[in-house]
Amino acid sequence: MSEEAQVQRRDFLSLITWAIGALIGAGIGIPAIAYIVGPALKKETSQEWIPIGSPSKIELGTPTLFKANIERTTGWIVNQEEVSAYVFTEDGRTYIAMSNVCSHLGCRVRWIAEQQSFFCPCHNGVFDKEGNVVSGPPPRPLDRFQVKVEGEQLFLKEA
Amino acid sequence: MATRVGEWLDQRLGWRAVWSAIFLRKMPKVNWLYTLGSATLFVALNQMVTGILLTIYYVPSPDQAYDSVQYITTQVPAGWLIRGLHHWGASVMVVLTVLHMLRVIFYGAYKYPREVTWFTGIGLLVTVIGFGFTGYLLPWDQKAFWATTVGTRIAEVTPVIGESILRIMRGGSELTAITLARFFGVHVWFLPAALLVILGVHLFLVIRNGISSVPKKEQE
Repeated sequence: MSEEAQVQRRDFLSLITWAIGALIGAGIGIPAIAYIVGPALKKETSQEWIPIGSPSKIELGTPTLFKANIERTTGWIVNQEEVSAYVFTEDGRTYIAMSNVCSHLGCRVRWIAEQQSFFCPCHNGVFDKEGNVVSGPPPRPLDRFQVKVEGEQLFLKEA
Repeated sequence: MATRVGEWLDQRLGWRAVWSAIFLRKMPKVNWLYTLGSATLFVALNQMVTGILLTIYYVPSPDQAYDSVQYITTQVPAGWLIRGLHHWGASVMVVLTVLHMLRVIFYGAYKYPREVTWFTGIGLLVTVIGFGFTGYLLPWDQKAFWATTVGTRIAEVTPVIGESILRIMRGGSELTAITLARFFGVHVWFLPAALLVILGVHLFLVIRNGISSVPKKEQE
């Protein structure tokens, strides 16, 4: 066997070793990435209509707070969670349902009747009765739910 | 480019000398049974990687352990694979460790100058068994619960100090949340720390003393 042939055999084995190592690395590495990011990619909003009460409770022209308990599964834990929304109607036929979570940093907003606006206590965000930003830091209007009325029941769905 | 970076690093780290001491060391002509130690090391690495990944979801508490394991197995992408590798790897680990030990016994590789390598190997065997014993409880299913009940009762048979051993293992007289939490702590902190230290010495000695050659019939 010549000197050159020996070097070639060594290089070949080294290459094979590295290739097998890379294959095993990818074989565990790729599933590991899927495993780590998996739950982050899951859609969390509930896709069902949530009954929240009777629309007769709403005073025309005044956003009214509705609350409902829903069951939500996060990972392996089933939680009772409260969904709350301000529902607003001018004419009793078309409804707007707004989240009471401030679009700035997630504090709860409150309807202040005297000022006819929503107020967020954390950083003084102010929204009008349809949820549009009036002043303060919020970057966008209050998030909205889909609404429907069936009989004497108001339903919400997370958009 | 790569060679220049390699050169630059080598001048500062001396990594080439370390590399060749580990991977390019001289070897006697041996057979495939001499790869059992490396195979064990490979599975140990598999256990470390998959074990670390499992801790992302697993919760060592009686009301969540079982559900979090089910979640890993059925909901998390590739969770079945990661858990499966860890589960089967655990058994493979014990089998390979024992086979490696038998090879060392039958080839007389524990003799001078490798006695300390053998002692650390015994430490590693005990550590591996500890991993198996503590890890078995963590899924917190019926099998896990009763296996640990029996396992700790076996320890209780020890003369004089038996009952103390059982109480220390269980963290009380019953198998409870305390038991699960301490088995988890031992499985992911105490034993890995012990393993890394003993394994470090073991591998250092393998490299320092070189591996033994296949014994030959008496030579004149």
